[in-house]
Amino acid sequence: MSIVTSCKLNASSLIINNQLIHTISGDTIDWKRELYNFYSKDYPKFHKMDPLAKMAFLGILGIEKTTDLSVYDDNEVSMIFANKTSSYKSDSNHFENYTKKNLISPSDFVYTLPNILTGELAIYLKWYGENCFYILEKFDLDFYIEQIEIAFSKGKKACLCGWVESSDKSEDLIIFIIENQNNKINKEEIYSYFK
Amino acid sequence: MQIFITGYGVISSIGLNSVENFQSLKEMKTGIDNTSDPIFGNYKVGRINYSNEELSSKFNLKTFGSRTAILGMIAAKEAFEGHVLNSDIRTGLISGTSVGGMDLTEKVFAELIENGVVSNAFNHHASGMSSLEIAKELGLENTFINTISTACSSAANAIMQGARLIQNNVLDRVIVGGTDSLTQFTFSGFRSLMIFDEEWCKPFDANRNGLNLGEGAGYIVLESEKSLEISKKEPIAKLTGWNSSSDAYHQTASSPEGYGAVLSMEGALKMAKLAPNQIDYINAHGTSTPNNDLSESVAFKKVFIDNVPVFSSTKSYTGHTLAASGGIEAVFAINSILNGVVYPNLNFTTEIIETKLTPQLKFEEGHEIQNVLSNSFGFGGNNSTIIISSLK
Amino acid sequence: MSELKETLKAQIIEQLNLENLTVADIKDDQPLFGDELGLDSIDALEFIVLLEQNYGLKISNPSEGKDIFHSVNTLAAFIEKNKN
Repeated sequence: MSIVTSCKLNASSLIINNQLIHTISGDTIDWKRELYNFYSKDYPKFHKMDPLAKMAFLGILGIEKTTDLSVYDDNEVSMIFANKTSSYKSDSNHFENYTKKNLISPSDFVYTLPNILTGELAIYLKWYGENCFYILEKFDLDFYIEQIEIAFSKGKKACLCGWVESSDKSEDLIIFIIENQNNKINKEEIYSYFK
Repeated sequence: MQIFITGYGVISSIGLNSVENFQSLKEMKTGIDNTSDPIFGNYKVGRINYSNEELSSKFNLKTFGSRTAILGMIAAKEAFEGHVLNSDIRTGLISGTSVGGMDLTEKVFAELIENGVVSNAFNHHASGMSSLEIAKELGLENTFINTISTACSSAANAIMQGARLIQNNVLDRVIVGGTDSLTQFTFSGFRSLMIFDEEWCKPFDANRNGLNLGEGAGYIVLESEKSLEISKKEPIAKLTGWNSSSDAYHQTASSPEGYGAVLSMEGALKMAKLAPNQIDYINAHGTSTPNNDLSESVAFKKVFIDNVPVFSSTKSYTGHTLAASGGIEAVFAINSILNGVVYPNLNFTTEIIETKLTPQLKFEEGHEIQNVLSNSFGFGGNNSTIIISSLK
Repeated sequence: MSELKETLKAQIIEQLNLENLTVADIKDDQPLFGDELGLDSIDALEFIVLLEQNYGLKISNPSEGKDIFHSVNTLAAFIEKNKN
C-alpha cells in the first residue's frame, strides 16, 4: 500500500482512512473549533489561523491519529497542496479592511497567500523541505500523480498531498500521505482509493 | 543538462529597459521617491512615472491589461526580442505576481459598491490573467503558461520551475520571471506590518528601519541545448543552481538563525557543484527590514564563514518589487557577469553589530564575475536561491 | 483603572484570537510577550490596531510598542495617560 494515511473532513464529518471517525454536531458556531476540541490538542496558534490553514491543520491532526509523522526527516517530504479559490476569504477580509474600514489587520493580510498554509504546516511539523500550493479548477488526481512522480524522482521519501477549499459555498479537505516505493507509484491503486 | 540564458528584460523605477537600469545602477541613482499620490501619503516608493496609457503607447502594446500585465509585457518583450516562434521549440511562459490585476480592480471597485456597476476591469483581476495577457502580447497564448504567487520569492520560483520543465523535457524554451505593480492592497498590507521606512531604505545598515515598496518586472529566457540548435541563439549565461527551502519558523518573519536561507543557498551551491568561495557576487534579498537583513546576514556567515563574497541589495534602487524582484535581480545578475561589475548598496553607513558585514558601497568595474548568487525570500517561510554563471 | 484592565483583557483575547484563554488567565503584571502567552510580532501589530480602534490612540513605530505592550498594567497606564 503506497498511500499511508488519508483524511477527509468537512463541516459534518471526519473520515480517516475511509472510516468515519467523528460526526461533527454543527451545534457550535464554528465546526473547526469543535473538531479542534475533539482532538484535545494544545496549539494556541490554531486560533489565529485563517479558515484555510485551520482546516489543513485539522487534517494533519487527523493523519496523526494513525500515523507517526516524526518518522520522516525534516526534508524528506514534499508538500503538494491545491484548491480552487486560493486564499479568497482572507483576501476579501483584507480588501474590506482597507476599502471600507481603513483599519488594516496585519493578521488578515498575512493570510492573503495560500502558501502561508503550507508554511504553517511546515512550522508545526518542523519540516524544511519543499512545499507548494497550486490553484486548479477542481481536485485532479492526475495532477497530484504527476507532481508526486517528480518529487519521487528527486528522491523524496513521501508526499503530503492536500486539497483544501474554504469558500462561502463549501469547506472541504482531503489530505493524504503517499510513500515512495522504488520511485514507482501505482496509479490504479490511487484511483481506486479515491473512488 | 545545461540550462542556457538567451535573453533578458527589465522595467523598474530606475529605467524602462535593461540599458537604462544598468545606467542608473552605475550612476548610483535610486528610483525611490515621494509621490503626490494620496495612497502612499508620506511614504517613498519606487514608482515608474508613466501611466498605463503612456506605457502602452510608448511600447506599442497591442494587448490591453492591468498595470501588472503591462509592466510584464514590456520586460518580457525585451527579453524575447530577437527570438522567433518555431513549432519545433516547445516554448512557455512562467510569470510570478502577487497582485495580478488588483490595480484595475481597485479603480472600479468603489463603483461596484456604490452603483452596482460590474466593470469589465474585473476580467483582468486574476493573477493568471496577467500571465495570459503577457503571453498574448508575445504571441505565446497557446503555449504552456503558468503563474506563481509565493509573495516575494515568486519570480525566483518561476525561474526554477521553468528550469525544471526544461530538465524534464516538458519545454525547450521558457520565459521566466515576475511582475508586480504598486497597489493599495499590498501598500496597506505592508503598512499594517509596519515595515516601511519613511526615509530611503538602508539595507544591511545597523539603523535600517524597513523597506520601500516598488514596482516593475523582470524576465529571462531559458533554453535547452536542443532549443539552441534550432534557434541558433548565442547563449549569454547559464542557470547552474537553484533551491527552494522552507524556514518553518513564522508566517512572515525569517528565523533569527536564517535556517531556511542557509538551506536554500547551500542547496543551490551543491546543485551548481560550486564551493562557497567560487561565488563572486551576491545579489541579496536585502529588503532593509530589521528582521530580513539580520537573518540573511547570519545565513551568509554560516554558508561563507569568514569569506562572505561581495554582496549588495539593489532594492535600495528599485524598492522592493515583491513578486518581480527575483526576475529584476536575475537581470542585474546577468549584467554583473557580462560587464564584470558589482553594484553598490545605497544608504549604508553602519555595520549590523551581530554580523559586522559591509556590503559593496561603490559601483566597480573590472571584476571577473563567474558566478552570481541571488536570494529571494517570501512570506510563508519560502526561501529561494538561484545561481547564474558565466559561459566561461 | 481596574475596570479598564478587565475590558482590555477581553479586547486582547478577541483581537488576538486567544480563544484558549479567559480574562481570568491573564494577570495584570504578566509579560504579554514571551513564552507564557505565545504572542508574536503579528500580535504586537494587532495591539496597535486594537489601541487605534478602541481608544483612538496611534502608534506609528512598532519599537515604541515594546514598553507599552509589556503587560496589561503598562497598556492601561498608556491609555489613561493619553486619553482625550
